[in-house]
Amino acid sequence: MKRTKLRAIVLACIIIFLSGCAKSEQKVETQIFAMDTLMTLSVTGSNAQEACEAVQALIVELDGLWSVTNESSDLWRLNHARGEWVSISRQTLSLWEEASALSSRTEGALNPAIYPVVRAWGFTTGEYRVPQERELAALLEHIDISYVQADTQNTALRIPADMQLDFGAVAKGRAGGLAAELLREMGITSACLNLGGNVQTVGSRPDGTPWRVGLRDPLGEEGDYLAILSVEDQAVVTSGGYQRYFDLDGERYWHILDPESGYPARSGLLSVTVVGPSGTVCDGLSTALFVMGEEQAVEFWRGRADLIRNEEDFDLILVREDGSVVITEGLESRFVLTTGYEDTRVEVVTW
Amino acid sequence: MVKRTGGLLLLLIVLVAASIGAILLRAQKPEQTGGTARITIDGALYQTIDLNVVSAPCTIEIPWEGEGSSVIAVEQGRIRVASADCPDQICVHQGWISDGTVPIVCLPHRLAIEIVGGEDTLDTATG
Repeated sequence: MKRTKLRAIVLACIIIFLSGCAKSEQKVETQIFAMDTLMTLSVTGSNAQEACEAVQALIVELDGLWSVTNESSDLWRLNHARGEWVSISRQTLSLWEEASALSSRTEGALNPAIYPVVRAWGFTTGEYRVPQERELAALLEHIDISYVQADTQNTALRIPADMQLDFGAVAKGRAGGLAAELLREMGITSACLNLGGNVQTVGSRPDGTPWRVGLRDPLGEEGDYLAILSVEDQAVVTSGGYQRYFDLDGERYWHILDPESGYPARSGLLSVTVVGPSGTVCDGLSTALFVMGEEQAVEFWRGRADLIRNEEDFDLILVREDGSVVITEGLESRFVLTTGYEDTRVEVVTW
Repeated sequence: MVKRTGGLLLLLIVLVAASIGAILLRAQKPEQTGGTARITIDGALYQTIDLNVVSAPCTIEIPWEGEGSSVIAVEQGRIRVASADCPDQICVHQGWISDGTVPIVCLPHRLAIEIVGGEDTLDTATG
């Protein structure tokens, strides 16, 4: 009896001792410049280094396909094909399919053909200007994406000669989603990727608790967070007018344009954050719902069951112009106001 | 019989000591109060600055290939881009950072400043 106890203790000690020798979890953090932004990758696991390098290679590859300015990219070739069919990669075709699906679901609030209008405002170069109404009207005649033809058999796309596509509103989300998929395939259960403000998480923190994602206060400075969001295995993407704008004659003009008017979307919201398992959906919807405004965004969220497959489910955080916040019910237990923002009015929208 | 128990006891003592050692080793974390700023250019490390031991505020001028420069200001526990001749001035407008949540990024100059090893409350940030 005594001996059995002793043996048990010895065995327990050996197990504890040996567990210290197990292949150690490694945390690797890297930064890369890609897709016109800085990306931070933080990956934990025994093969974290290898996984990090694989993600970097993937992002560089996708950037090479989806860049608007790189002359060898799928997108550049498509935009300069003068209306001819262009053979593209599967990755690009499936990004187009997702983008156009999101565009039709949001009734055009997301429009992948708005690029020439964004450029007219100078948002692509930093040489800001307010275009003439006539100029905008002329550009808006060429953003009807129903003219885009896709050939899934031969993986090719064809766009009208006077149209230009840009996947800026979905590319980073898609890249984050594909990177997360790759990490999961490599057995990684803890990673946090920040693709220029597009957050994509894999699993939870190395200690098993949820990732803590700061939510930028659109009325404050960079580094002011109004709330902390706890997430696992999800993407978090914010669109806000504060991200890129210019002031002229007392007016503020930001980079999120309403495809209806060609002018910056003024819907009464300062930022829209979308939380869900699909990076592409979160990215595309954050832009589209910013354009649509609170009422339509909430309506869209309520109607998502009819429109959205399960893996494309999502929740919302809307920040109004007066600083008050609307969150959808799925986030109620995962959303905490930070110190200094305790008095912020938060409304919870239910289904 | 006594001999055997003695041997086992010794083994037990050694194992207990080793196990405690293993647990302590794993639980131990280096003492960290503030962070270290890492300045990178085009992803390559340019300089690291321990923000805990900045005795007096100072500035560092980093020349930009071609022409112009970014001027970095450092104080105890924080760092910022004081001035730069990049077209967008986003890095300058960002102001001071004192934790690792959001790095300062100057895309035109391919410059990034991040703080590592500080006591972060957040893993990352959106927006």
